[in-house]
Amino acid sequence: MKNHRLLPFVVVVMFFAPVRVIAADIKVIANGSVKADAISASEVKSVFLEEYNSLRDGTHVEPVLEKDGPVHQAFLHEYLGGTDDDLQNYYRALVFSGRGSMPKQLGSDAEVVAYVARTKGAIGYVSAETIGEDVKTLTVRGGNGAQRRLLTQVEPSYPDTLKRLNIGGTVRLRLTIGPKGNVESVEVLGGNPILGESAAAAVRQWVYSASHSRTIEEVSIPFDSDR
Amino acid sequence: MYKRILSLVFVSLCFHAGQIILQAQEFKLLDRTVQVHGFFSQGFIYTNDNNWLTMNTSQGSAAFTDFGLNMSSQVTDKLRIGAQGYDRNLGQLGEYHPSLDWAVADYRFKSWLGVRGGKVKTTLGLYNDTQDEDFLHTFALLPQSVYPTDLRDATIAHLGADIYGNISLRYRLGALSYTAYAGHRSDSIYSGYPHYLSSFGAEIKSFGGLQYGADLRWKTPLKGLLIGASRLNENITGKGSAINPFDLGAGLVPYSESSKADWTNQFYGEYTVGRFRIDSEYRRYWRNQELFRGTSESFADVRGWYVSGAYRICKRLQVGSYDSRYTITNTVSGALSVFYPPATDTNLPANHDYDKVVTGRVDLTKFWNVKVEGHFMNGYGSGPYPNGFYTQVNPNGLAPNTDALVVKTSLNF
Repeated sequence: MKNHRLLPFVVVVMFFAPVRVIAADIKVIANGSVKADAISASEVKSVFLEEYNSLRDGTHVEPVLEKDGPVHQAFLHEYLGGTDDDLQNYYRALVFSGRGSMPKQLGSDAEVVAYVARTKGAIGYVSAETIGEDVKTLTVRGGNGAQRRLLTQVEPSYPDTLKRLNIGGTVRLRLTIGPKGNVESVEVLGGNPILGESAAAAVRQWVYSASHSRTIEEVSIPFDSDR
Repeated sequence: MYKRILSLVFVSLCFHAGQIILQAQEFKLLDRTVQVHGFFSQGFIYTNDNNWLTMNTSQGSAAFTDFGLNMSSQVTDKLRIGAQGYDRNLGQLGEYHPSLDWAVADYRFKSWLGVRGGKVKTTLGLYNDTQDEDFLHTFALLPQSVYPTDLRDATIAHLGADIYGNISLRYRLGALSYTAYAGHRSDSIYSGYPHYLSSFGAEIKSFGGLQYGADLRWKTPLKGLLIGASRLNENITGKGSAINPFDLGAGLVPYSESSKADWTNQFYGEYTVGRFRIDSEYRRYWRNQELFRGTSESFADVRGWYVSGAYRICKRLQVGSYDSRYTITNTVSGALSVFYPPATDTNLPANHDYDKVVTGRVDLTKFWNVKVEGHFMNGYGSGPYPNGFYTQVNPNGLAPNTDALVVKTSLNF
């Protein structure tokens, strides 16, 4: 009986519970009619806010969104800022003032890939693992089309044991760099896992130039046992 | 217990059926997708003293309804067309006479250059073009010093054309958006100003004229900060008939008023950081009218500004507050000056309206919200240009202070 009395309280708490943001790796994809292979983070933002209907090379573009979920949350976090409610309100303001349309919003990666593949100028985003043969993946550069400059570089330590045993090679890392230039997260993409750990510890201390938004950079760090 | 469960199931079914109906609709026409969107809002206002916004709010009034429906389609990569119908009833205004809110053909050559023509919503400050869409705003009533809902017709749209565009600035200097426009404004005879004139025995047949202006806004390099400025020039003529003020028994005589100078400057800024948003606007409206074919002249200087803050506590709940300040000064020259002594002291309640507001907004779903808002007003800024308080619903005069409770709900799809 006591539990039943608590039910309204639980419902109210759940109703007002904060939104949980789930991280996901994403990539930006485009229809084959889009000439560019790379696009700046600020262009991505402008396209999805319907401020741009064409890229600098004159290609017509049309944004395609995923409905709310981890991929959409990651895209918001990465490129647009704000919440999904903010974004929907932004679109509604365009729609109800006669200044724009509600963009296509689809339910899954597969639907986005299929729509982008068949729609001229479509630009969308999907999780990084999604395979889409009929679409192109756009490289997203740092803010305003400029590569982010590395300002502070810390050399990784090469563990003596591995060096003595001639265990080396190249470690590939994917870095998420915050707007202020700090490295927010590091993911080891390939290479010896111990060297990977050492490299990751070093790059976490790197500092890049500031940007409008978070960007993703991939770096390769060689460990040469002969040096 | 059984009945309670049944009623809960019934309410739940109705709610979900409503949600399904409220999903945005789209259909194909001539191989083009046509989007359909709409909204509806219903408010209730109770005031402790003066009647407000032409409603009998001191008794509590729900004559505060509006709704709209639009259709639009992207015809080609660059051409989009659409139209929206709008209707409202606000006390003695609107009275459910539907209007064409906007109807545009929008051709976008480039991101930095587009043209839209038809009946176009006027870009003026942060919220002029979205002031009717309650669901877009934290507040049930936008600051009335800058966005008087009874006078929406004065600025809401023009029949003409805009050129507009977005320009990304180099060297990380942010981005600019510009709009320049010209067209014809036409006020409904069911809108606030003709209603105000009717209290002097005037019956307005037509009210409108040329409207042209521009807006420039800058998304600054500081993330979340936008600043901008708007300018609006007008040449307005109103015609109808009125009681002859010099001979009340002589019946109706032709009435006319026309602009000698009529302009609005508006400056604004908005800053959003995380769940917090603050915005502020200042509007100055200068109005110099010739009355009764030039026999008299009226000079009105209307100034309004507000500072507003809103914080989203969680996904469903937002709170906000604003301080809104409105002043009006007026002088009349010529024959009518005997009836209208100069009104220049903005400390008098007749010449100002200061409104402190607190609000709470609950989003029940993505498409349905409820707002509860308190207004604590000092002054009633009653003329010669109205600002919410009308003599028709306050025949015994106006008290200096008004507190109001506003409850409003809106749906959109």
